[in-house]
Amino acid sequence: MSRLLQEAALAGEDVAWLKEYRGRGRERFAAQGIPSAKTEAWKYTKPNMFLQNDLVYQQVVDEVRNRPELPFETYKISFVNGIFAPQLSNLPPKIEILPMIEAAMFYPEAQALIGKLTDTTKHPFAALNDAYFNEGCYIRLEANTALDKPIALMYHTTQEARGGMMHLHNLIVLESGAKAELIEQHSYEGEVKLNYFANIVNEIRLETKAQLQHYKYQNEAFKAVHIALNVVNVKSGGIYKSFCLQKGADLARNETQVVLSEPEAEAQVNAAYMMNGWATLDTTTDIEHTCEKTFSSQLVKGVVGGQAKGVFQGKIHIAPLAAKTQGYQQHRALLLSDEAEVDVKPELEIFADDVKCSHGAACGQLDAEQLFYMRSRGIGEEEAKAMLIDAYLDEVIAKVDNEKVSEWIKSLLKM
Amino acid sequence: MITPLLEIEDLYAGVAGKEIIKGFNLTINEGEVHAIMGPNGAGKSTLSNVLCGKQGYQVTSGAVRFKGKDLLKMSIEERAREGLFLSMQAPVEIAGVSITPFLKHAVNAVRAHQGKPELDTMEFIKQLREEGRKLNLDADMLKRSVNVGFSGGEMKRLETLQMRMLQPVMAILDEADSGLDIDAMRLVAQGVNSCRSEKNSMLIITHYQRLLNYIVPDFVHIYANGRIVKTGNKDLAEELERSGYAAFVKESK
Repeated sequence: MSRLLQEAALAGEDVAWLKEYRGRGRERFAAQGIPSAKTEAWKYTKPNMFLQNDLVYQQVVDEVRNRPELPFETYKISFVNGIFAPQLSNLPPKIEILPMIEAAMFYPEAQALIGKLTDTTKHPFAALNDAYFNEGCYIRLEANTALDKPIALMYHTTQEARGGMMHLHNLIVLESGAKAELIEQHSYEGEVKLNYFANIVNEIRLETKAQLQHYKYQNEAFKAVHIALNVVNVKSGGIYKSFCLQKGADLARNETQVVLSEPEAEAQVNAAYMMNGWATLDTTTDIEHTCEKTFSSQLVKGVVGGQAKGVFQGKIHIAPLAAKTQGYQQHRALLLSDEAEVDVKPELEIFADDVKCSHGAACGQLDAEQLFYMRSRGIGEEEAKAMLIDAYLDEVIAKVDNEKVSEWIKSLLKM
Repeated sequence: MITPLLEIEDLYAGVAGKEIIKGFNLTINEGEVHAIMGPNGAGKSTLSNVLCGKQGYQVTSGAVRFKGKDLLKMSIEERAREGLFLSMQAPVEIAGVSITPFLKHAVNAVRAHQGKPELDTMEFIKQLREEGRKLNLDADMLKRSVNVGFSGGEMKRLETLQMRMLQPVMAILDEADSGLDIDAMRLVAQGVNSCRSEKNSMLIITHYQRLLNYIVPDFVHIYANGRIVKTGNKDLAEELERSGYAAFVKESK
């Protein structure tokens, strides 16, 4: 039995299905264990090399002293050390938002959906997440509703949570024609070397013509491990559009699995990552076109310095029936040092005729001619590099539709 | 009183292990305009690159003083901040970096070095637009990425605009006329001439005499085989235009 499976006092142990659900998570995690270089889906990322400390499942309630706030108005759902913090939250009116455990225990329609999109036999951390199923939230927008402001999920970790692990599970349902913007921020306060493990599963369901813009900023502490799985199902005419900026953590993986399950479903999965030091930042995508006339595009750009490592694994699967489908994927990385590393694994599985698909991957360095030109005008070397890095990432940040969000993201691009 | 601004003394330098500049001597005093003319492949661009500190170029011996200081010890940006400017022969495109913020950073970096306060954005933009107008570069063009999609002539006008904004004391113009039609050349020459003063100096590196009709030099040097082989006034440029380089190149061997 892995040391990550510990006794935990979780609410709802007397509810039969919950107990069973968690038990199944424990079993499945135990069967898979912490993945290593031998596990194909994790061979570059090697979580076993990072999850070596004695992490303890704990629920540490703490005050927030210093949390970075967003520079524009949003609704807020706050978690501190993985625990819902109502005093720091500001929920939109008329929208169904509940702590996950409450939704699981008292809302049969939520209960019916929990865990249904995720195959925990193939994802050890999703299984582990189920084993500790308790925290997170349930968000549901009724048909044809829209919000006047984005909803921000603010995850914040304090010093008190040192050596701890947290497992959060969110279920987000947009009924037909509903529209929303979701922003995730992962931050910490205090010592930069804080170690903890954040394990997050988002299950997202977009019904007919529903649209979700999903933005994420991952800036965990330098000794943290952050594993996130976004599982998304998009129905006819629905659009899932995401942008993720990863900067922090010792090891982080942002994995997005999208199933385009009905005609004219669309997904745009874009991401940027930048790091120095020793971090490993992983962006993994799996887009399944199961139906005809579906569309997906991905653009991922990274900037890697020091001895850091970027990982991109991108899969596009086009099922035999998915004719007239388009799937595009691009990954590019800028290596700032000789010891920086990027591992790329694009996979295209095309079983249908009459589809448009492309993928590309490229790694490069800062252009010496450009640097010389800028410096010859009096701009200092470091500043010139920063300007070139900004320019490099500009292409992917331009994919962010909300101007306030893209301005915010631009302000975060300091190495 | 004559004050030397740039003094190059018995300079030997090269690139990729190949010696190109061999015993180069030149002194440029405040307020003087010098032209260096030479055949293709004589190493004219090597000279400008060495003076601006481009990586990959090695100085094997000799000295270069700028305002009395050792120029070769300065970083690329320090040289610029001290007032050295190179108008490049083939400026590089920088996609994603727009001209306006780029030049604002540059101008303020130079000002900070000289102990002057930063220009505020409005003031800077006003100045930039005014200078741009004189060079026929409109406000829309100044929003574009540096040199991206610019024609040869537009690039040279942009180089001249940068020179106007940065107000260098020593400007090196490397083939500032290549790719210019006669109207564009007049604009560039006007911009360059307006930077001339009793204190400011210029070094014009060119293959053809044409530009020197518009920017009239005080001295003309013929450069061949890595050093100056003959010095004269503007008449020398005209003589060169008539007779070609061959005689001078042969003489220097």
